[in-house]
Amino acid sequence: MDSGGSDESLVEPKKGKSKTPRKAKESVLKQKEFSMDSGGSDESPVEPKKGKSKTPRKAKESVLKQKSPAEFFAENKNIAGFDNPGKSLYTTVRELVENSLDSAESISELPIIEVTIEEIGKGKFNSMIGLIDRERIDEELYGDFETAKAREKRVAKEARDQEIQAKNAAVGKKVKEPSAPKGMKGRGEASFFRVTCKDNGRGMPHDDIPNMFGRVLSGTKYGLKQTRGKFGLGAKMALIWSKMSTGLPIEISSSIKGQNYISFCRLDIDIHRNIPHIHLHEKKESTEAWHGAEIQVVIEGNWTTYRSKILHYLRQMAVITPYAQFLFKFVSDASDKNATIKFSRRTDVMPPVPFETKYHPSAVDLLLIKRLIAETSKKTLLQFLQHEFVNIRKNHAERLIGEMGPDFDPKMAVKSLTSQQIVRIHQLFRQAKFDDPSGDCLSPAGEYNLRLGIVKELHPDMVATYSGSPQVFEGHPFIVEAGVSLGGKDVKQGLNIFRFANRIPLLFEQGADVVTRTALKRISWNTYKINQTQDKIGVFVSIVSTKIPFKGTGKEYIGDDISEIASAVKYSIRQCCVQLKSKIVKKIQAREQQERKRNLSKYIPNATGAIYDVLKEMAQLHGSKRKHYEGEEAEILKKVSARVITKDTLQEKLAQHVEHVDYEMAMEFATQSGVSEEPRDDIYIQALEGANNFIDFRSPIFVFRLFQ
Amino acid sequence: MADKKKRRKATNSEDEDSDGQRVQPFKKRLKQDTVILSSLRKLTESIRSDESTDKKTLTLSDLDLSSTCREVADLNLSSVQDAIERLVIRITQSILSGSGFSFDVPARGNANQLYVPQLDRIVLKDKTSLRPYANVSTVRKTTITTRILQLVHQLCLKNIHVTKRDLFYTDVKLFQDQAQSDAVLDDVSCMLGCTRSSLNVVAAEKGIVVGRIIFSDNGDMIDCTKMGMGGKAIPPNIDRVGDMQSDALFILLVEKDAAYMRLAEDRFYNRFPCIIVTAKGQPDVATRLFLKKMKTELKLPVLALVDSDPYGLKILSVYGCGSKNMSYDSANLTTPDIKWLGVRPSDLDKYKIPEQCRLPMTEQDIKTGKDMLEEDFVKKNSGWVDELTLMVKTKQKAEIQALSSFGFQYLTEVYLPLKLQQEDWL
Repeated sequence: MDSGGSDESLVEPKKGKSKTPRKAKESVLKQKEFSMDSGGSDESPVEPKKGKSKTPRKAKESVLKQKSPAEFFAENKNIAGFDNPGKSLYTTVRELVENSLDSAESISELPIIEVTIEEIGKGKFNSMIGLIDRERIDEELYGDFETAKAREKRVAKEARDQEIQAKNAAVGKKVKEPSAPKGMKGRGEASFFRVTCKDNGRGMPHDDIPNMFGRVLSGTKYGLKQTRGKFGLGAKMALIWSKMSTGLPIEISSSIKGQNYISFCRLDIDIHRNIPHIHLHEKKESTEAWHGAEIQVVIEGNWTTYRSKILHYLRQMAVITPYAQFLFKFVSDASDKNATIKFSRRTDVMPPVPFETKYHPSAVDLLLIKRLIAETSKKTLLQFLQHEFVNIRKNHAERLIGEMGPDFDPKMAVKSLTSQQIVRIHQLFRQAKFDDPSGDCLSPAGEYNLRLGIVKELHPDMVATYSGSPQVFEGHPFIVEAGVSLGGKDVKQGLNIFRFANRIPLLFEQGADVVTRTALKRISWNTYKINQTQDKIGVFVSIVSTKIPFKGTGKEYIGDDISEIASAVKYSIRQCCVQLKSKIVKKIQAREQQERKRNLSKYIPNATGAIYDVLKEMAQLHGSKRKHYEGEEAEILKKVSARVITKDTLQEKLAQHVEHVDYEMAMEFATQSGVSEEPRDDIYIQALEGANNFIDFRSPIFVFRLFQ
Repeated sequence: MADKKKRRKATNSEDEDSDGQRVQPFKKRLKQDTVILSSLRKLTESIRSDESTDKKTLTLSDLDLSSTCREVADLNLSSVQDAIERLVIRITQSILSGSGFSFDVPARGNANQLYVPQLDRIVLKDKTSLRPYANVSTVRKTTITTRILQLVHQLCLKNIHVTKRDLFYTDVKLFQDQAQSDAVLDDVSCMLGCTRSSLNVVAAEKGIVVGRIIFSDNGDMIDCTKMGMGGKAIPPNIDRVGDMQSDALFILLVEKDAAYMRLAEDRFYNRFPCIIVTAKGQPDVATRLFLKKMKTELKLPVLALVDSDPYGLKILSVYGCGSKNMSYDSANLTTPDIKWLGVRPSDLDKYKIPEQCRLPMTEQDIKTGKDMLEEDFVKKNSGWVDELTLMVKTKQKAEIQALSSFGFQYLTEVYLPLKLQQEDWL
């Protein structure tokens, strides 16, 4: 087993590199298994091979080298969202927050999460790593050194600018603030940040901490289940990034409920061997009954360019998880840049924890079938089909086996299947018809929470939400929930799109995303009396699934080419719009009521002016006898000539009529619509005392809570 | 002189036989111009004899239609003035009695249109809609209508013509954009029961004419053979046009400016006596009135040269049976019996137009084409139905300019003469 396992782990990481990350994930499961076998010892069998990769340079022609997963991800940081310092800061915050949420939700605790970003100046950083600040001696070595020529140019330019300004001032023109001379920024001017994230989650067992942080592609979130995290990369990538940019270790404090100590661990990662390198691992006395984890990492970053992204991320996270409380702090030497933002809790109803499910027959590939066979505890083929997949019942399994051919028998040992036979099973799985998997294993945010989140963070004038029924894409169930809001604070005119996948916000690569495309191209907002360019429209779409079909390496958007998802998104948004439409129409009517009189009166001078002009001309013709009028016409014209009928009389009469009509219509409107009040908005009062004991009975629309 | 020219043509074609054949296919099939001319003469004769036997053209009143229809007539200025004044007096009384005022405007929407096959044109049914002042949705239109009435009244008093643009600029603040004042202008002429020309409001000139026609415009005699390449702009005030004389054998209606230029520059009308008219796309009222006048006074056949796409046919239909917007005046604006000479979908293969000159039809094109197959004015002519069906089936369209792939002058030297020779019109 040992050697077999090592073989696997030797090959698999390579696969992870070239194939899709999905494959990478599978490889990891193996690795996990393996490390369990070897008792979690640090003596990883990968190690001896690593020696090979460091073999002397002389053998330049193709030498077979192996890479540890950690090495691979260090070289391809962008896969995990660590493209540049700025994005790395963002991704670090994001990964830590998501881990915290998962951790708190897994023990059904309402999450309280504190994120602190502390800017560290260069001097402080150097002292932290024990480096003395050196003065520059040879100025010309540096990128921002100003040569004599450049200096001449700058001085001349400054003189010119001053001249122009003096001139402008003389003429009295508006004087523009002289722009501060831009300091040339070399690569040396990196900025460093200490990112701290503290939660009230499950915490981690003392002994597992090193492996949970110091080994890439190992994690607790594998398996077919709706999860926020991807492949156990997040916190480890932050650690790799900190190792690459600052060289400082990560610090973890953690405590589990009922534990009377706090585990403290300072560690970094041995990238080449993909194992943790522990600096300090100890238990500290603890008096407060805190449980959860606090993780602190020092990385290079860029606050100025990614500030808005991080804030957007937190705000959107607050929308989709209104039951969590976020406290965000930014601390730096310059006190004017400091900021503290609190996203408070709006509800204490949490979505149920998603549970792990079995694979749907139409969602498996050959490799997966082989793995399931290797892992199964079931003996016979019949049992295997019946228990390792959803939607195959016993008689169905029997029929399937009959269909496979004479080589197959319900009682045959499943482990004895040949490769050819497995291919046959795979083929049948693809061709046969199966019931769609149910969405029970999913945990959508819920219409209630989505609505509350939107109301809480955006304070819109109107909001409508819709929760779709579970649907299926390639054997994976998914649920689309949507919300559409109008108006609100900090919302720009036009479409504001908020995308969520498995209850985490997606911020990048918005353009190609299915939600963006649908909202922009396939919804005719006009039919719902919404002005796409003028109104402040918020579109919120949350998709949850056991497998989100991300596009691109960054996993930041869902492609537009999956018709099942595209149509579900479109339908959900439309449903929201339909709800809004009736409200909008009512509002327009009410506004028309108010504005009717004004609108009708506005044109009185125009209309009466035109009529009076014609009358005047006619009166003149009549008076000069150039044209003869008779009867009533003549009478009216006489009055016009005698100034009995003037423009003012016409205006007055028409205004009276307008008033009368307006009154009648107002009466009619009132009788039709009845006395209606603005809908009341519930207020939420946070519970003061600690948790009561209660049982929740959930339904999509309400929660029935039984206090004990 | 004509003979000499013909001979030169003949020798030319012989000279170029070897490689000219490839450049201008079918040129060999062309017969002597005299032969073509004689066949054209026959066509003109038949049209004239038809006209004389069928003396009176049908009018709405001759027909016994189930629904009554609305038609307008040319009214002189004083009758227009009277009509406006009657209306204003009625409004004044209504206002003074304290009940506001409203107009009864004929509906010009799609639902109120009717195609009459006997007349071969669209007419307006008699449905009207009330336009009260004291209603939020109609208050603006009502006010604009009053203002337009007043402006037209002034025109009547002063006896002058203005353009639609002029009218718009008299009160930009109220009208906001020209489309609004234009639409109300049509409403007003419909409401007063007169043609738009009777209101003394004209559109800027758009159409041009060149060829064998002499007419008087506001008293000046104009010879359209001596108008250079550009031709004569068709005057917007058709009531001042008269004394038409012509020795042409037919009228050639051209959709596009470019094709018109080619024909004018090559003096096509001297080789085959004709009158060439274009409105540069969708025809305006003046061009349609002018065509109608030429057709009724000169009794000439009208041949149309349009693009081989649904739009070409649409333009043809506007000349032929009128647009929905102006259906209230279709009697004056439509010219019945226009023959579709080219470029027809079947010509693409018949004249071996190379693939690169044909364009694929867009979704919109195909939809328009299919919609048009349902239209009555297409259905009544089985030849057109076949052509349009072919177009929708092949999903290919081509412009007149596609013929230029055989040389710029292929249109005038081979295509049109050959079409005329084969009497290939529908």
